[in-house]
Amino acid sequence: MSTQPIFQAEHLHKRFGDQVVLEDISLSFDEGSISGIMGPNGAGKSTCFNVLTGMYKPDGGSIRFDGMDIAGLSPDRVANLGISRSFQIMNLFDEYTALENIMVAAPKTRANLIKPFWDVRGDAETSDAAADILALVGLRGREHHLASDLPYGERRALEIGVALAARPRMVFLDEPTQGLGAEGRNKLADLIQSLKEQFTLVVIEHDMQFLFRLADRISVIHWGQVIAEGTPKELTANEWVRASDIGKVA
Amino acid sequence: MLTAKTKAPLTTPQMLTFFAVLLTYPLWAQAVGLYEYLGIEIAIFILYALGFNLLFGYTGLPSFGHGAFLGAGAYAYGLMQVHLGAGLLPGLVASIIAGAIASAIVALFLSHRRGIYFALMTIAFGQIFWFLAIKVRGVTGGEDGLLNIFRPTLNFGFFEISLKPNIALYYFVAFVLVLVTLLLWRLVHSPFGMAIQAIRMNEMRARFVGYRVWLIKWSVFTLSGAIAGLAGGLFSLAQESAYPDVMSLHASGLVVMMTLIGGGFVSFWGPVVGVIFYYLARDLLGASTEAWLLWYGLLFMAVMMFSPEGIAGAWGRLVRRLRKSPAAEKPIGEAAE
Amino acid sequence: MDFLSILLPHLINGIALGLLFALIALGFTLIVSVMEVINLAHGSLFALGAYFAMVIIDPNLQNAGPIGEWYLQLPHIARYFIALILAPALVAVVGFVLEICLRRTYGKKKEYGLLLTFGAALVIEESIRLTWGPVEQVLSVPAQFSGAFLMDGMIYSTYRIYAAIFGVIAIVLVWLFLDRTPYGAIIKAGAHDSEMVRALGINLPRLQLLVFGFGAALAAVAGFILTPIWGLRPHVGIDAVIPAFLIIVLGGIGSFWGAVLGGLLVGLTVGLTGAFASDWSLLSMYLLLIAVLTFRARGLLGKKTALEA
Repeated sequence: MSTQPIFQAEHLHKRFGDQVVLEDISLSFDEGSISGIMGPNGAGKSTCFNVLTGMYKPDGGSIRFDGMDIAGLSPDRVANLGISRSFQIMNLFDEYTALENIMVAAPKTRANLIKPFWDVRGDAETSDAAADILALVGLRGREHHLASDLPYGERRALEIGVALAARPRMVFLDEPTQGLGAEGRNKLADLIQSLKEQFTLVVIEHDMQFLFRLADRISVIHWGQVIAEGTPKELTANEWVRASDIGKVA
Repeated sequence: MLTAKTKAPLTTPQMLTFFAVLLTYPLWAQAVGLYEYLGIEIAIFILYALGFNLLFGYTGLPSFGHGAFLGAGAYAYGLMQVHLGAGLLPGLVASIIAGAIASAIVALFLSHRRGIYFALMTIAFGQIFWFLAIKVRGVTGGEDGLLNIFRPTLNFGFFEISLKPNIALYYFVAFVLVLVTLLLWRLVHSPFGMAIQAIRMNEMRARFVGYRVWLIKWSVFTLSGAIAGLAGGLFSLAQESAYPDVMSLHASGLVVMMTLIGGGFVSFWGPVVGVIFYYLARDLLGASTEAWLLWYGLLFMAVMMFSPEGIAGAWGRLVRRLRKSPAAEKPIGEAAE
Repeated sequence: MDFLSILLPHLINGIALGLLFALIALGFTLIVSVMEVINLAHGSLFALGAYFAMVIIDPNLQNAGPIGEWYLQLPHIARYFIALILAPALVAVVGFVLEICLRRTYGKKKEYGLLLTFGAALVIEESIRLTWGPVEQVLSVPAQFSGAFLMDGMIYSTYRIYAAIFGVIAIVLVWLFLDRTPYGAIIKAGAHDSEMVRALGINLPRLQLLVFGFGAALAAVAGFILTPIWGLRPHVGIDAVIPAFLIIVLGGIGSFWGAVLGGLLVGLTVGLTGAFASDWSLLSMYLLLIAVLTFRARGLLGKKTALEA
């Protein structure tokens, strides 16, 4: 596995009005790894996430993915380059079934947009690929249930599934444990581990314990900067981490 | 294989019922107290409403100024025929193009938006078009209308059919309607159809999944405008004239109401049901009371308050309850007529 | 100097229009900010106010006996002022009914409320058409306010000046109400944060009902004053909704001075356009809306509001 960083953000700066939210953020993620971003609320990690995934344009700094400069590109361009994200507040296509949620995001569907008479749901390849993704996130057998009918934990899984549907190279997961109990978190941790072979993952989280057992490397963001960075082991020893409220268990 | 459950059929019972009713209409119309010209109007407005619902029900974009594109098509046909002596087909092509261009231009301003800002801008544009139609008398004839449009003769070489008799025009319009219905049915099951619905459900996620949302919105707006233009051209043929009133807010609002009451939010066939219902209400109820439009408006309010899924939605619920099947019915496309 | 004096009547026109637009917008913005509903029926309430006023000023009281005779003998101007109070009150009641209908759409997609008020607009306009006919009617204005006078070689309409004065008085009264009375304070609080108001123990549904009625009444007052200029037809209200919306986009939702200043801006645009191309003056309003919404992505201040999508 290559140890070259596939994704590099350097000196990101972002302000809203006269409030500087991101001071100077530099991050890099290696291909095939699971990276974590941690930090208290209001620290800028959500904004950082949104900047990294194309929702906001940074006021300064650069973002490179696989050598390509992607800072400021629109979200759909970023998605088409192979970066996908899930959302903290669930963003599903509620009137579609679980299968359709995946199918609509599939690359083949999007590629065939200009074919006006090609029946998506009738295409075996698309259906089967979508079913595979659902199986991957633990939703086998739930294909034909409407997204709005699924229980919370399954919706969370589907939320991630939709991000995976486009077969990206990198997946950013935004607080995926939101609202999940202990069992849900364990299942989610297993899921994310299993995805490691196929995708490069970046997980943003409150839950320190969750990140610590999953991530290869973690960056800690506070006051709009990266105040610490390293393996989970290195971070437990870090005095900044211990001193700040991040040290508390979620 | 999962495909068996989810594949879209080429035709459905609803579609065949609709075609059967459509194509046999002149045979039984008079027996039930209806008449051929009404059939022409209904067929044209079904065409208009189907195109409209692509934007409204499927993509979730509320257009209150769609009459502008119907009118553009009507005037285009009239002008082509009256000033350029154009035949039927070139005239209708001009209608489609006029509707498409007008809506393409409007869509440039609207494609970044949705919801209330979108709706109000469509009202503003509709009013502008209506205003222009009235003021630019030299081109449109103003409130007096563009007159002397005539129904031409279809020349097939070895025989010809005059569209002057209502029954001939009816079958011509019905033929166009069948064609467009089939095309739209295929379209809503295509990737484009899935994309526009995804945009309706969650525009942001659609963007993050890789869809160029503004371009898709622009396209569906233009397409629905083109269909409205075609309907407009046919309408000017039917009326043998073109007037500004189809562009008024009142008229644009009517197609919104027809579509919604019919069940455009939940069914492909909503617009069909809605248009038929409107015209039946107009002719049957209107015969006994001058206040029929008032009742229709009250009905619309009641539908919005209690059953926004309209007639098609209510029917679908009834069918599902009778079948007692689990809730796996998809909102758009599957609800029965 | 000549150019200015030619412009002056149109300027006054614009100011009068602007103040009355501001009045319409004030009612509209209160409804939007407290209930997050875009009331497309606002224009028809505007028209209804004018029609009610017409009936109150010149009622058909042939069979009403001695009370009717006494009423008809009141000076025109007295009946005019009775109408000024009574017509908006009646329209407020219609507003109450509409608000009750709207309750079913709260919490659903925003378009549902929009569509419902659209339907209500049709119902109200049809009712007007059925009751009073589609032909243009006359809202008779007392002789003291009508007529014209010459100044500097330009003709000025007396009524427009009175309309402007009425507009100022009405806006001042609304401001006093909102700023100086406890009810006004509650409404302002509700406009700012309806959840908080509920948490403070105030009956939110009742507040919403009253605000809607109040907004409707303001529209009715504006209709009463404006229709002698615009003409009294069932569909006259359509041209009242767009400026209301435009003004709140310009001036911000829930902002009193935003509505006033925005109203003046729109009114002046229409009035001054009337100086050059009178037929097209209303069109300028629609063009202005499109221009503003195209270049001002989020109305004002970049704040995402409940209307955003």
